[in-house]
Amino acid sequence: MAYTPGNPGSRLNENFENDLLAIADTKLVLGNWYAECTMNGRSLPDFAAILGMCTSNYGHTRAIYQYLAAHGHNYEYLERGRGPDEIRSSNLLDEAPTGWEDFIVSTWLAELSTWMLASGFLKHEDRAVAGIAKKIGEETYFHLKYSQGWFQIIGEGKKQTTLFQKAFAHRFPLALQWFGPARGKDPVHEAGIRDVPLKKLRDAFVKETATAEKLLGADLEQEKSVKFAKDWRTDARRFGPMPDGLFEVVRFKDAELAH
Amino acid sequence: MATKLKSKKKIDQKRERGGMEPKYYEVFARKNSQSDLAHVGSVEAPNDQLAQVRAWYIYDQHKWKEMCVVPLESIITVTEEGKSAKIKMG
Repeated sequence: MAYTPGNPGSRLNENFENDLLAIADTKLVLGNWYAECTMNGRSLPDFAAILGMCTSNYGHTRAIYQYLAAHGHNYEYLERGRGPDEIRSSNLLDEAPTGWEDFIVSTWLAELSTWMLASGFLKHEDRAVAGIAKKIGEETYFHLKYSQGWFQIIGEGKKQTTLFQKAFAHRFPLALQWFGPARGKDPVHEAGIRDVPLKKLRDAFVKETATAEKLLGADLEQEKSVKFAKDWRTDARRFGPMPDGLFEVVRFKDAELAH
Repeated sequence: MATKLKSKKKIDQKRERGGMEPKYYEVFARKNSQSDLAHVGSVEAPNDQLAQVRAWYIYDQHKWKEMCVVPLESIITVTEEGKSAKIKMG
């Protein structure tokens, strides 16, 4: 059945589905990052904030899975049936954080990049998609503010600032590659499904990350050119499968336990 | 687990908690335009951004139309001149 907005059961454009899954799967992993690192927060209020961000991201993931399920996909398969080579999370979150500064850098870049891609659908003709994008924006506002609060604290310490800069230099290229090649094709925009071209979103992401320098009080090395691995998959926006250790954290362990 | 931080947690009390005596903010919120902006509680945070986020996630009992935080040090007492405002716990 051809896709018509707001018509459950109709098939979606494949490239559009790829974009949605990339956002959903990255947020699935991001939610797990927050869950795993909650007790590394600095105080009880921090635990509440981190857990709040965790459940928000899970909610965004499930909303997208439900939307895809309404258009021909199997929800159970999306949520519980895929292996490490099928989950399309950003390579940015493959490696565990090495410290608090790395955790702040990585979660911030993941929040910003997923929001940037989602923002391209704010004016989508299907109200369900536009609504999901709007909700992501409303909640990511607080997630990014959390990061900004920590930039200021980290920036007050010389050692902590250096750790932040090193983490950023390592993670930023992985976050940037998620947007694809700077002059790559953009079939979703060309089909009129996303009204903002990917290049513009990529540029906005780069510009936004640079604003962290002011809060941090230090320079950040922004590697603008990205070398794509040989096994880079455009549809999944990643190279290689998810690491086994991370998949063990992310996957649903037992269907009965979830109820 | 793969995502747990590899380094041990070390908290710099002065930087990360606003000092040995943490910095507090009072939280005010209203449910809708007709409601009064009422005091709902307090949060501890070393800066304004973290205070905003922590208040939003701790006081999530309603879908607030409006919420704001005020640093305790900014409150000017009227009946207890010369003394600082006391936060309401519980």
